[in-house]
This record gives sequence, C-alpha cells and structure tokens, in this order.
Amino acid sequence: MRALVIVGHGSHLNGDSSLPVYEHAARIRETREFDEVVECFWKEEPSMRHVLDTVESDDICVVPAFISEGYFTQQVIPRELGLDGPVTEKGGMTVRYAGPLGTFGQMEGVILERTEDLMRGKKKRPGRTALVLLGHGTDLNKSSSGVIYLNAERIREHSLFDLVAEAFLDQAPEVGEVVAGVEAENVILIPVFIAEGWHTRETIPEDLGLTGEVTEREDRTIFYGAPVGTHPSMADLIAARARDTYRTGDQAPGTAGCEDEVVRSAS
Amino acid sequence: MEGRTFAQVLIRRLETGYEMRHTDDLDAENLETSDDPRLAREISRLTEAGEHRPLKSAPNLRRGWILRVADAREMAVAMNYLYPAAVVHWHLEREGKLEITSYRENAARQSGIYKRVQRLSDEGVHNAAQACCEDAVCLKRTLWDVDGETPLAMDRGNGEIPCPEPCSLFVSFARRVRLFEREERERDAAGLTPSEREDLASLVAARASGKMKMAREAEFEEPLNERRLRYRLLTLAPKLRPGE
Repeated sequence: MRALVIVGHGSHLNGDSSLPVYEHAARIRETREFDEVVECFWKEEPSMRHVLDTVESDDICVVPAFISEGYFTQQVIPRELGLDGPVTEKGGMTVRYAGPLGTFGQMEGVILERTEDLMRGKKKRPGRTALVLLGHGTDLNKSSSGVIYLNAERIREHSLFDLVAEAFLDQAPEVGEVVAGVEAENVILIPVFIAEGWHTRETIPEDLGLTGEVTEREDRTIFYGAPVGTHPSMADLIAARARDTYRTGDQAPGTAGCEDEVVRSAS
Repeated sequence: MEGRTFAQVLIRRLETGYEMRHTDDLDAENLETSDDPRLAREISRLTEAGEHRPLKSAPNLRRGWILRVADAREMAVAMNYLYPAAVVHWHLEREGKLEITSYRENAARQSGIYKRVQRLSDEGVHNAAQACCEDAVCLKRTLWDVDGETPLAMDRGNGEIPCPEPCSLFVSFARRVRLFEREERERDAAGLTPSEREDLASLVAARASGKMKMAREAEFEEPLNERRLRYRLLTLAPKLRPGE
C-alpha cells in the first residue's frame, strides 16, 4: 500500500496555515491515486513525530508543503519524522522524502493559473503589464529567493507579459520598490507563499497601501493575487511530486491498523 | 454510560456502524447529523466561540453534532480528525508498545528558537506541565517524565488518550517559562520580575475595564493567556500570599 504524507507548517494561532494542506489532501484523496493521504504538521496535530504511527501503508512518500529548501525541509522535517535521506527504512516501512514544491516543473503553471484567476474579468489600463513574483526571501538562505528567480525565468520564456520581476519581503529587491518602480501601467503581484497568513493578509497590503485585489494609483493599477499555495492546482503538483519520488526504489513489507480493537471496546 | 468515551467524544455501536457525539450532548436534541467521517475535521477546527484549536485534546471541542459512520474504518478516520493519533496511541499503550519520550530527550533535539528549552530547570518543567497539561487545559494523560530518573510532578489525569511526548504547544510554552526563569536576576525590591509586574498590571487593567478578554490558547506572550496565568498561580501567587 502507498501513502502520501503531506507535511505542513501549521500554526498555534490561526487556521489559515494548515487549511490548504487539508484541502489539497482532500483533492488528492478523491483521485484515489494513493491508498492513504494523510496530513501532518509542525505546529498542529497530528505531529510529524506521530503521523507515521497512524499510517497503514508500507510505502510512504512524504511531501513537504513548503515552497523552498531551507531550515524546515532540511532540518526539522527529517529530524521529526526520523528520516536519514531520500529513502529511509524504518519499522517495516519505506519512507521516501520528496523535495519542496517551488522548484518542481509544474510550479510555473500554478503561478500562471493563479494569475489568470486574478485577472479574469478585470480591466487593465492601456500600456504595459508586469508580473511580479513575491517571495519571502531571507539573507540567511539563498534557496528562498532562488525559487522565485527560477520561476520568473521559466515564465519569461512564455512571453505572456511585457516583463516579469522578482520581489521580496526580507531581502532586496524589496517589494515596495519593485511595485512602485517597475515600468508598467499594470502590475500583477502574486505572492509565492504556501498559505494565507500575517504577511499576505496584513503586512503586504498595509505596506503597499493595497485596497483589495485591485488598487488604483496615479500611474498604475496594482492587481494583488491570493497566495499560489492555496490554488487548487497545487494538489496536482503535490501528487506529481510524490509520483516523481516514487519512481525510484523498491517496496517493503507492511504493518496493520488497529480499528478492530476500538470496535470491540466501543460496543 | 453505554459505549466508549474518548476525551469529549462518546462512541456507540449502532445496528450498522457507529455513532459519535459530544459527551455533553448525550441527551441533546436537534443535533446536526452527518454520515461523512471527514466532517470531523470541520467539527474539530474551531471552538464554540470560533477560535482556532491548535491542540485537539484541549477540553474545548464544540457541541451540537452527530456523526453516524458506516464502519470501523470510517470511525477511525473521524477519530483521527477529532483526536489525531489518539486511537493508535491508545491501542499501542494497551499492547505495551507505546514509545515514551521524556522532556529532556525531546528538548535535546530542538533547534532554532526552541533550543533554549534545553536549559529549562527541572522545577520549570514540573510547573510548565502543571500549567499546560493538566485536565483543565488538556485531556491527554501525560506519560512522559522530566527524564529517566525524574518523574513529572503533576496530576497526570486519567483520560483515555495517552500523551507519549511533549507536544509542540508544550515546547512553545516551555520556551516561555525558560524566558521567565532568565528574569530571576531582575527581581525588584518587592521580589517581582518584570514580566510578573506586567502580568499583574494587565490583569488589574483588564478587570477594571470590565472587558476581561483572554488571549488565544497558545498566545503565551500575552499576560491574559490561560496557561500563563495558571503558571503564575503556581509560581507567583504563593509569593504574594505567603503562608497560605
């Protein structure tokens, strides 16, 4: 049996963080591609530490619902799940560890779908249109911005926009400067984030003076999209990530569940 | 009571399948009934007041629903949303196979902003566990200890769901308590630390305003957080009222 385990960050304070993980899991479950689809979190339950106890399958693929390689994907997730590499044999299970989502080939497609959804039925000004991909970014880790540059480059190849720019919250080029300075009358700003949260709902709109999906400034119109990670197509990307990871390695013998005993004691 | 209780959920066998409802809804009428086990996620997501529930074993499961599911497998799916991993841990404990991880083992693998929990004193662990894990705030039965030689000094409860290891909420609270410990050298002439003064002032102000709005469940940085106040009851109240 095969199980897909999706790992989300989760939050002690709000439900926005775990919501897309649950929603993507539900979508993938409907396809019946995997025998089990299970969610787990760093800050919510079930914890990464205990999720494998709840899985019946013997061949497991762990996909982190994170945009880029970093502290969580390299340290926290392997440590909490007890993984020692791309493939770990433990307790009769084969556990495969997939990479983060942002570098995967389908990511640019999800970004473009999110952009289409945002722009559907909206009136643009005459003139140029820029797509701005917004990442968190950090000077501590180049992977965070690397994902943004990679996807911007891939999207440029489609020649759908007059220009494609990168912008960040915690490193240069800073989002406020990019949105104000990019040479275009229409600026489409898409947050390459996994979930809605403090940044997407509060800090970004406040810092940029956005009034909603469409903000008119004297010299330009700014279109602000929902985070890429909440788009329904992310479910396909997660499943494809797992499929890709399964292409290597063999299966191991299985373990059993424990519903029968609950049944007996409940009656 | 017929059936089996798991924390705030009562499970009963039907002619076919199983029924789950809130233990306080045993005799309630007009409950919303569903046969979809995955609706349990929606039920367990928010408190009655609409707040996020980061810890599903907190005694704040909302009422007003019934789940009637077809079989044991569906019941397991529903239970895993109401109390994640609880049924499997209950089973493993009965089999004598539940692996227990002590506070010190758990702390040893923490990193980043949580690394400092490694320096929390034994007394700090006891107090944090009493404030964060007793039945008033979490219905799991605490099985872990400070370390192999130091049992946890707390009322572990007698709930059905075993707690084999400090959870992420506890680690976050332990970090807060460690920060309190670091204030020891900053006690004023009255013997209060800066955060104790802040908490007392906030309490007085909130009570006097008539709007005693408590902080969210895991907002440990806020003076009016329930677990933080429980910790103050253990560590501050005896200093304010010596001899009681």
